[in-house]
Amino acid sequence: MNTILLQNLVTPNVSLQAVLPEMIVAFTGIIVMIYDSFMPKQRMVTGALSLIGLAASAFALFSMWGEAPASSWNGMIANDGLRMSFTLVFLFVSAMTILISTVWTERENVPIGEYHALLLFATFGMMFMAAGNDMVIIFLGLETLSIATYVMAGLRKSDLKSNESAMKYFILGSFASAFLLYGMALIYGATASTNITQIASMVGKANFPALLLIGGAMLIIGFGFKVATVPFHVWTPDVYEGAPTPVTGFMAAGPKASAFASFLRVFVIGFPLVSGAQASAFLHESWVTALTVMAILTMTVGNISAIVQNNVKRMLAYSSISHAGYAMVGFIGAGVAKTMQDRDEAIAAVAFYMLTYAVTNLGAFAIVTLIAQKNDRRTEFDDYNGIGFKSPVLAFSLSLFMLSLLGLPLTAGFMGKVLVFRPALEAGSTLLTVMVVIAVVNTAISAYYYLRLIVVMFFRERTTSWLEPKVSGALAAVLIITILGVFYFGIFSDNVIEKFSGKPSVQSAQIK
Amino acid sequence: MEPSLGSYLALSGILFTIGAVGVIYKRNAIGMFMCIELMLNAVNLTFVAFSRYYGDVTGQLFVFMVMSVAAAEAAVGLGIIIAFFRNRVSVDVDDASILKN
Repeated sequence: MNTILLQNLVTPNVSLQAVLPEMIVAFTGIIVMIYDSFMPKQRMVTGALSLIGLAASAFALFSMWGEAPASSWNGMIANDGLRMSFTLVFLFVSAMTILISTVWTERENVPIGEYHALLLFATFGMMFMAAGNDMVIIFLGLETLSIATYVMAGLRKSDLKSNESAMKYFILGSFASAFLLYGMALIYGATASTNITQIASMVGKANFPALLLIGGAMLIIGFGFKVATVPFHVWTPDVYEGAPTPVTGFMAAGPKASAFASFLRVFVIGFPLVSGAQASAFLHESWVTALTVMAILTMTVGNISAIVQNNVKRMLAYSSISHAGYAMVGFIGAGVAKTMQDRDEAIAAVAFYMLTYAVTNLGAFAIVTLIAQKNDRRTEFDDYNGIGFKSPVLAFSLSLFMLSLLGLPLTAGFMGKVLVFRPALEAGSTLLTVMVVIAVVNTAISAYYYLRLIVVMFFRERTTSWLEPKVSGALAAVLIITILGVFYFGIFSDNVIEKFSGKPSVQSAQIK
Repeated sequence: MEPSLGSYLALSGILFTIGAVGVIYKRNAIGMFMCIELMLNAVNLTFVAFSRYYGDVTGQLFVFMVMSVAAAEAAVGLGIIIAFFRNRVSVDVDDASILKN
């Protein structure tokens, strides 16, 4: 037995260059952690170090974009458009979150050095979730991300809301991880491999087709929890409301996008439609139908629940649920794409959607953080009464972000929606067309609660006193970047999409 | 006689179900966490069973990863539960009810 095992061992094709962006982020995290333990409370230094690390990582990413080999580390690390585009989203989200969190420096006693280190480790996890072409890597990335985010949600140790948020997130998150893991074990059992490329080549001739189906269902439950789709969304509003506001913004933009990245890779690339194989056709049809139903439910339940909310953070939590539903429309579009090129374009569209959502959402959360004051006291709709003409800059920016979340033409949200709806519509199946119609109807429903915030800000009388919050330099930078981003992605989306879908993905040679 | 692959899978399925039902029915955060650990160990059993069946080490390697992650998760999770206990003097999840509609 031992000799057989030894013969199977192969020297890995180690290519540090292929994981350079991830390494830079991880090392920056370690440096920040060590620095903070020797010289605590140096908020500016740890923040600046983290930003430098993220910028260096982005530089490494751009220099290997389309250059590095298609896959490395014995096929465990992919190097395709999916990885590149999503990694860019994560780095952006992380940098913006650090800038938004600077509001804490003035008013709260949060252990910010630890926070910066945790944020970097979470980013590292997200990057590996997008890069992993093997279920082991995806699992490790997911857990690195999750464990760091559990702590970040509970950062305010003495605040009951924060404690509660962390505990709910931890228990439901690890519950979901267990399902995900069971799914991975069953897929491994059915295909004798944990590599996504090999799984894709095995789905037509799996040893136990039934296990493949059950494993797929378990994976949908696990990933469904992570991206917060109905019916696995129950944790989202509570966790988002209780977590510190900058962390909520991060959780809505980053971890959700990273869960989408691995969800896409496992399902669209791992469970393709192999012509001539009955089992793969059945598996493919099952997951497309299941996700279509989930997407319809997610959009509708998210939007309808958002209407009745009186807390802005909770409203944005339900809005993030409905946005996961819209992104899933593009996901399904990628799943049913007929050619490799269509598939890569649909994947790029989902990545672009997550980028536009991140830009808009982080901008909105920057303002919500600013208005919330110490310990997130002012997050109700009533706290926004009549601030429109008292703080015009904040009110007009927040209105712009709300319009972009709604999907008004010329804003990022509009282009994102158009691009994710198109592949599903082009597939021509009745169920998918119905889904797109429901998505458009949902967009109209969502106008109610996005516009409500604008109405509250501009047309209601303020009864309580209003203290204009001071906009720090870092926060001004966030607002400028996000406002420019909203217009840039809304008007010049072609450049970004071209970049995102430019490189053929790893599997293109093997399937066709 | 050595038990077949099927019996290992049945055992791990049963353990996983016990864990999942436990998480849903238990109200004590520590108890829920123990049930989650039970689910993870059921997964480990599945991996090892298949690994043995195929004579392939990948499954056993995955188990090492799962075990180390579970240990890290326990450290963080118990920390979070203790933080909650300090402020509430309870680990009952029904007491975690400030955040509701």
